[in-house]
Amino acid sequence: MFMRSKTAGLIFASAIALFGQETKLDPNSSIQINFPADSPVLQLSTKVDESRATPRGGAMVVDLHMSLSLRNAGSRNIRGITLMVAAQEATPGGKASVAVPSLDVAPGQNFPVRIDLRLLRPLQAGGPLVKVSLDGVLFDGFDFYGPNRLNSRRSMTVWEMEAQRDRQHFKAVLAATGPAGLQREMLDSLARQAERPRIDVRVSRGGRAVSSAGAPEHMARFAFLKMPDAPVEAVDGWAEVSANEARTPTIQVVNRSPKPVDYVEIGWLVKDREGREFLAGSVPAAEGDLFLPPGRSGRVLQDTALRFSRNAGEPVSIASMTGFVSQVEFADGTAWVPNRLALQLSGLLRMVAPSPEEQRLADLYRTKGLNAVVEELRKR
Amino acid sequence: MTKHPNETVLALFAGGDLGTWQRWRVERHVASCTACRQEVAEFSELRAAVPAMVEPPEISWTKLAVEMKANIRLGLEAGECVSAGPLEARGIFSVRSLAVCGSLALLLAAFLLERPAPRIEPVNAAETPFMESSGAGIQSKAGDQAIMMLNTRARDARNVDYLASGNAMRARYVDTETGYVTINNVYAQ
Repeated sequence: MFMRSKTAGLIFASAIALFGQETKLDPNSSIQINFPADSPVLQLSTKVDESRATPRGGAMVVDLHMSLSLRNAGSRNIRGITLMVAAQEATPGGKASVAVPSLDVAPGQNFPVRIDLRLLRPLQAGGPLVKVSLDGVLFDGFDFYGPNRLNSRRSMTVWEMEAQRDRQHFKAVLAATGPAGLQREMLDSLARQAERPRIDVRVSRGGRAVSSAGAPEHMARFAFLKMPDAPVEAVDGWAEVSANEARTPTIQVVNRSPKPVDYVEIGWLVKDREGREFLAGSVPAAEGDLFLPPGRSGRVLQDTALRFSRNAGEPVSIASMTGFVSQVEFADGTAWVPNRLALQLSGLLRMVAPSPEEQRLADLYRTKGLNAVVEELRKR
Repeated sequence: MTKHPNETVLALFAGGDLGTWQRWRVERHVASCTACRQEVAEFSELRAAVPAMVEPPEISWTKLAVEMKANIRLGLEAGECVSAGPLEARGIFSVRSLAVCGSLALLLAAFLLERPAPRIEPVNAAETPFMESSGAGIQSKAGDQAIMMLNTRARDARNVDYLASGNAMRARYVDTETGYVTINNVYAQ
């Protein structure tokens, strides 16, 4: 089976090389979709109509636009889904995923998932271009199904917790101040999303990221924002900084909660020399690397180098760095996320991206109006 | 804003292959158009990745000339051996020995020509695997291979949220077609 698809891929690549033109993709030889036999999500159909392969020099650029139609074949409502997209044949180790959080798909209901990607690979590479598989599905009540190779359970759990937090907030606003108050909240949210300072980041694993050679390097310490109810406290941290590049962030954390913790993620803000502050990224604990019994401390360390720029390449020199605990997972599988008030009081609401649910509700307001948001909030 | 140049013109522009007038026009347009500037940047990246794959192996012309001169000299000397030698000596330079001699010369020439010369590979920072965000999406790239998750269906390209998190990079947006929030991740290679 594999040999056959590999041969088909080679013939396909050779044809492209020979004719040197944009070619439509054959879904049978270019895409493999594998869902487990007992999957609560069924794949109904796949469209790849707009997908193309174009030779450019000695390489092939493949634009793949897939639309999967899926069905909830389980007995509970789906809250989120993550599909893994692997392109090992094209890019050794090339791995990606597409997640759709903030869903409310009832049993028997169909829903679409779109996958849009571009591959650059040698002309003669064979085999299917991409393999799509199910990594996880999150149901009502935080039940999860899936192989969880990409830790989608944790991500989807956190997104669902944030969704519940924000729905609660908007419902409270609606109850207290009526539709006019909710409208103000929606407008505020859209304004924050539009005005949120953004930064471009290039990441490489280990070693030096790229081009700021020559600039003096120094060890810069993190300042920390305290989240009042956080079960974990960040107490010390540093990174090697050189001009617009920061390497190997290391953060010391202490478990202040009565429960053992096995995952912590630290949000990372960077201030440039003009005093502008950006969310630069997050520093997650390495997988399986952290276990904090109550009262114990440990280190969150990432062997990566990050280079910051904005406006298409203008370097952003790092003047100072601030960290905050952005999520915690306990050993029992439950999670903690900052509450809405803490985000507001610390000023983080302006800095960090809104939750997927807030983004969805604000978009609903923009495209369908206030009544649609009110109706949506009354659903559950 | 002027009309967008087509893909071919942008590709030629990225490679510096346009004429002066057309280059000036495209340059003016690209300076004020983010989408075209992005496309030019992508073409430039592609050009950086492709040469290593399409250029012929490096040939040292000086070395080749020296080898060719040596072969010609060898041939001439072999010819002199055949013509100038006394009849008595023809036992050594028989047709068979000349054929062997010629074959050896050819083999030697072939070896010298084909022998792979050690080359110093230039250190190229762009070869280091990396992940990055761009206007069109997030990509993980290693040498001449890349995977890029596109957010071309984002409702508003300016409101796509990118986040670097450890060995992964994330882009979040509202899909125009489905209306769902979609979160793409690419992972370091």
